[in-house]
Amino acid sequence: MTTATAPAVDSEKTRRRATRPGRAAGTGVSRPSFVWAAPAAVFFGLFAIVPLLLVVVLSFTSWNGLGSPEFAGLDNWSKLLDDPVMLKSLWLSLLLTVLGVVVQTPISILLGVWAAGHQRNRAVLSAIYFVPLLLSITAVSVLWRAVLDPNFGVPSQARWLFGDGNLFGVQAGAIGVLVFVSTWQFTPLHTLIYQGAARAIPQVLYQAAQIDGAGRFRQFFHITLPQLRNSIVTSMVLMVVGGLTTFDTVLILTQGGPGTDTTNSAYYMYQKAFKSFEFGTASAIALLLVLVASFVSLVMVRLTGYDKMRSTMEGV
Amino acid sequence: MKRPAQLLRTAVVGGVTLTLSLSLAACGNSGDSADGGSDKIHILVYGDAANKVEKQLVETFNKTSKVKAVLDTIPGADYQAKLQTIISGKQAPDVFFNWGGGSIKPYVDAGLLMPLDDFIAKDPGLESNFLPSVFNTAVVDGKPYGVPMRGTQPVLLFSNKKVLADAGVAAPRTWSELLTAVKTLKAKGVTPIALGGGDKWPTQMWFQYMYDRVAGPDLFQKAVGGDKSAWASPDSKKALGMLKELIDTGAFGSNYDSVKFTDGGSPALLATGKAAFELMGSWEYSTLQDAYPDFVKKDLGYGGFPTVEGGKGDPNNLAGNTNNYYSVLKNTEHPEAVAEFLKLMYSDEFVKAQLGIGNLPTTTNTPKFLNGSANPAYSTYQYELVKKAPAFQLSWDQAYPPAATTTIHQAVQQFFNGQMGADAFIAAMQTLPAA
Repeated sequence: MTTATAPAVDSEKTRRRATRPGRAAGTGVSRPSFVWAAPAAVFFGLFAIVPLLLVVVLSFTSWNGLGSPEFAGLDNWSKLLDDPVMLKSLWLSLLLTVLGVVVQTPISILLGVWAAGHQRNRAVLSAIYFVPLLLSITAVSVLWRAVLDPNFGVPSQARWLFGDGNLFGVQAGAIGVLVFVSTWQFTPLHTLIYQGAARAIPQVLYQAAQIDGAGRFRQFFHITLPQLRNSIVTSMVLMVVGGLTTFDTVLILTQGGPGTDTTNSAYYMYQKAFKSFEFGTASAIALLLVLVASFVSLVMVRLTGYDKMRSTMEGV
Repeated sequence: MKRPAQLLRTAVVGGVTLTLSLSLAACGNSGDSADGGSDKIHILVYGDAANKVEKQLVETFNKTSKVKAVLDTIPGADYQAKLQTIISGKQAPDVFFNWGGGSIKPYVDAGLLMPLDDFIAKDPGLESNFLPSVFNTAVVDGKPYGVPMRGTQPVLLFSNKKVLADAGVAAPRTWSELLTAVKTLKAKGVTPIALGGGDKWPTQMWFQYMYDRVAGPDLFQKAVGGDKSAWASPDSKKALGMLKELIDTGAFGSNYDSVKFTDGGSPALLATGKAAFELMGSWEYSTLQDAYPDFVKKDLGYGGFPTVEGGKGDPNNLAGNTNNYYSVLKNTEHPEAVAEFLKLMYSDEFVKAQLGIGNLPTTTNTPKFLNGSANPAYSTYQYELVKKAPAFQLSWDQAYPPAATTTIHQAVQQFFNGQMGADAFIAAMQTLPAA
C-alpha cells in the first residue's frame, strides 16, 4: 500500500508546483481579479461616462444654467447644422491638427534622432531644449503674445519679415502663431519619444549597413525611419488628440479671432457654454467633437495598423 | 519619524474628504443644507484689488449687526460663469455684485431677484442718495434691482498733449475736427488713435459713442429692448457710415487687432508718443499712472467724445460702465439685515474708502470728499461729467444679456477689419436676444 501511494503523492506535489504560478492554467500568465480594476473603473465611470451621458441628455435641452433644463428636441442639433461658424470651427480644428502634425513630426524626428547620440554636448542641449515642455501652456501663450506685440515686440524690429506686424488681425497670421506656439511647446515631448526609440534601434543594423557601404542618408531612410514606425504612430496619435482639442492657446492668444477665424470647435464649445450660457448648444458641440475625434482615431488606427502593431525586431 | 505617518494620514483624510464632497455634490440640490437657519448673510463680489473696501464695510457692518455678513469673492475672469451656476441653487449668496442692465436681466426673468421698492419705501435714501443716471442702470422692467457699490467708469478720449502740440493739433471738440486731426497726425507719421482691438471691447466703445452722438441714446434703448428695426434705421446706417469713414482714413493704423489694452499694448502706444489719442474707460488714468507716472504728470490730456454736427445726441452724454451694483436674492432669510447693509453704500466711510483706492463713487455726498482723492482734479472732472450727463449709456456688452457678448464682440471686430459691411453688421446685431 505504502509503496503504491508514495509515487501518487509525489506526482500530485509536482503537478501542484507546476501549476502554481497561474490559476488560469491555460495562458500560464497570472491575471489579477476585477477588483484591481475597480478604482480606475469607478473613476472612469464617474468622470467620463456619467458626464458624457449627461451631455447627451443636455444636448436635447435648452438650459442657461438657471432653473431646470427644458426639453428642446432636436433644436440644438438642427441649429448647429445650419450654423456656418460650427462648420468653420470643425475645419479649423482639422486644419490646426494637420498643420500641427505636418510641422512637428519632421522637426521632432530629426531632433530626436540627433539627440539620441551619446555625445555630451547633445545631452546638454537636449536638456535645455526640453524646457518649454515644463512651462505651463498658459504662461507660454501669455509670453508669446507679448513677444509678438506689433509695436513693441519682435515684429517691430523685423519689419522686413512681419510687415505691419498684424499677426493677430489676419487669419493666416493668427493660425500661424497658434501652430508655431504649440510646436514650440510640444516638439520637445515628441523629440523625447523619438530619442528613446532611436536609442533602442540595435547598432548591428547600422554596422551591417556600413559594411554594405550605405551612407548616412541611406541609413536614415532605410534603417532609422522604418525602425521608428511604431513611435511615429504613437506620437502622431498624441498630436492628433492634442490638435483636435486645442483650446488654451486659442483662449489666450487669439480668443477665436479675428472675428471667428480661429474659433475651433473646442473654443466654440467653451464660448457657447461659459460666455453665452447656452449649455444645450454647447453640449451638442461637445458631442459632435467626440464623434469626429472617435472617427478620426478609428481611421488612424486602421490606416496605420496600430491595432495589430508588428514588432520592428523581426529578423534581428 | 512622524513625517511618513502624517503624510499617510493626510492622504487618507484628503481622499475621504474628496470622495465625501463628491457624493455630497451629487445629491446637494435635493438635500436640506445644514446651515439653513443660520444668522448670516453671504455677500458675493468680483475678486480684485477693490475687495479691500468691501472687506472694510463688512467689518463695519458686523460691529453693530446681530446678523453677520460674510464676504465671498470669485476671481474676476470666472465671476460671471460661477455666479450663473450657483445663483439658483443652495449655495446662492444673499447679495451679489453685478453690472446692472443685461447682467441681471436673466435673473430677474427667472424670478430670483428681489425688487428694492420695499427697501426704498422704508429708506428713500437708498435711491435719492445716488446720481440718477447711475441708479437707473440697475432698473429692470421699471423696478430697481441694484444699489451702486463701487465707482463709475465713463469712457473718455485720452490724448498725448505733446504729440498733439508737435503736430499743431488742438484737442478736437467736433467730429470734423477729429477727422482733420487724424489726417494731420497721419501725415506726421504718428498713429492717430491707439486701439486695443485684440480685446474687442475697446473697439465697441467707438460704436457706443458714434450711435449716441448720431442717433441719441434712444436708438440703442429701443434696440436693446427688442426692437430690431432700430438697427436698420437711417440713423444707425449713418453712424456706421461715419465710423467706416474714420477707419478708412487709417485713423487706427493697420495692426490694431494685434494690440491689446489688457497687456498694456495700447496705453504704451499713447504714453510713448507713437499714438495721439485713445478712447478708453476712466481706469486708463490709473493704468498709465502705474506704468508711466511722468507722462501722466506732464502730457496726459483727457476729455469727452466730440460732438457730431447735425447729430441727435447731447454732447454731454456718456457711455461706459456706470457703476457696479449689489442686487438681492428674493429668498434671502434676512431682508432687514440686507437693507441695513445696503445703507452703508452711501455712508461717508464708503465714499472715503472708495476714493482712497482710486474709485469714484456716485453718491450725492461724494463731492464733500473729492479733495481727499488720489487725484482731485481728475476725480472732480469725472464727477461733474457724470452728474450733468443727460444719459449714461451702459457698455453694450453689459446692457445686453451675457448670451449676446460674443456676437457683439465679433461683429464690432469684423466691421473694423472689413469682413463685415454695414448691412452684415446690422443683421448680426438683429440676431441678439433682447434684454
